[in-house]
Amino acid sequence: MIAAALRYDLPRDLDEALALLSQDPATTRLLGGGTWLVPELNRGVVNADRRVVDLRRAGLGEIRADGDVIHVGATCSYAALEASELIASRLPLLHAMAVGVTGGRQIRNQGTIGGSVAAARPQSDAPGALCALDAAAVIAGPGGTRRVAVVELLSGAMRTTLRRDEILVGFEIEQPGGGHGYHKLKRAAGSWPIATAAAILRLDGDGLIDRATLVLGGVCATPLVVPVADVMAGHRIDDDLIAAAAQCAADAVTEPWCDELATGRYRAAVARPVAHRALIAAQSAAIQQRRSQL
Amino acid sequence: MSTETTIRVELTLDGVARTAEVPSGALLVEALREDFGTTGPKLGCATGDCGACTVRRDGEIVKSCLELAAGAQGCEIVTIEGLADGDELSPVQQAFWDEQAFQCGFCLSGMVFAAEDLLRSNPRPTDDEIRWAISGNLCRCTGYEAIVEAVRTAARRMAPPAG
Ligand code: FES
Ligand code: FES
Repeated sequence: MIAAALRYDLPRDLDEALALLSQDPATTRLLGGGTWLVPELNRGVVNADRRVVDLRRAGLGEIRADGDVIHVGATCSYAALEASELIASRLPLLHAMAVGVTGGRQIRNQGTIGGSVAAARPQSDAPGALCALDAAAVIAGPGGTRRVAVVELLSGAMRTTLRRDEILVGFEIEQPGGGHGYHKLKRAAGSWPIATAAAILRLDGDGLIDRATLVLGGVCATPLVVPVADVMAGHRIDDDLIAAAAQCAADAVTEPWCDELATGRYRAAVARPVAHRALIAAQSAAIQQRRSQL
Repeated sequence: MSTETTIRVELTLDGVARTAEVPSGALLVEALREDFGTTGPKLGCATGDCGACTVRRDGEIVKSCLELAAGAQGCEIVTIEGLADGDELSPVQQAFWDEQAFQCGFCLSGMVFAAEDLLRSNPRPTDDEIRWAISGNLCRCTGYEAIVEAVRTAARRMAPPAG
């Protein structure tokens, strides 16, 4: 039982949600899927809060394409991402992330992509995948709408640069092309990830790499963007190059995250193999994708 | 801001329109058990890990410890008590019974709803698919083998004939 008396509101659109939030931003909590906030309220971790504004009916659950840009609403559940043809065909990395979210069908029905970013838990799947896709977060506030790269929005473990009077409304993602790989290390099917790696590789007409992205999740407090393009761009893809890129991942981990699932040393040690597996998957997907275009 | 200590929640519970006065800070699972008086959904972890509190809300299965009771206003809730047709168990429940796939029964809400959802979308699951489908639910009694067997049995009985 949540000890404090709560006021609960279910706004029907974004303007109503912003108006409710503006009444007292300091004591209001925004509810996405509830999978993180509700237990926190129940444990009394955020007991200073008195009002919950539930965003699930505020019209922020849309998935649509606008030319090359795909809009994903903040309150899209993992199940909605999983079921979307558009996501499967144009952002298959996001699809792969969503189908693998831990906690069963229930959690994939309840958890939202925006909630995951706003909660900014280091172990969550979504932030790393969004960073690999160069996603921009769309944020509404009293002064209008702003856009910021997800990688910049995440400022620390459980910390973002969202202000208390702002609402994360969704993400804008350009279809990256090429092939992706997503690998996740966890102890059991039902446990939180210890480390994730999201890789995107794209080949040009000559078979040379023209896009290389690798982001590690869970390894540091915030998603770690590994500068693999430095070693991969312009090169022909082969096993040595993949190994060199995976080594980059290990070298990039300077301050690993530590929690009850794994120590920092463990996370630093698994960074290379986890990255390697994602890169290998991305390699074969990229080669296949280029063949299909020839 | 006036904050009420109790709120009035109206919902459909296992097919019956119901109303209760609920503490404003109640989790949905707490309200179902304490205020609506249905004890099928259990309160295990209250962190979303065990699945014992699973119910179907407006067609989707959810862990009701992660929902505020206030948010269930107007919703259609089906608990494990609502699956049987009178004395006749649902095919999944019957398979759990026949395979002795439970002991204390605490995990059954999660296991049975997860199995029902799996078989709706995938009538002939592999063992790996069964294991993944029940993975958000913890059972402290059975060791899971009998549960996997029960889902297999339910699938066999429910599946349309091949071909
Ligand atoms: S009580 Fe809800 S998941 Fe454990
Ligand atoms: S039967 Fe006791 S927890 Fe599953």
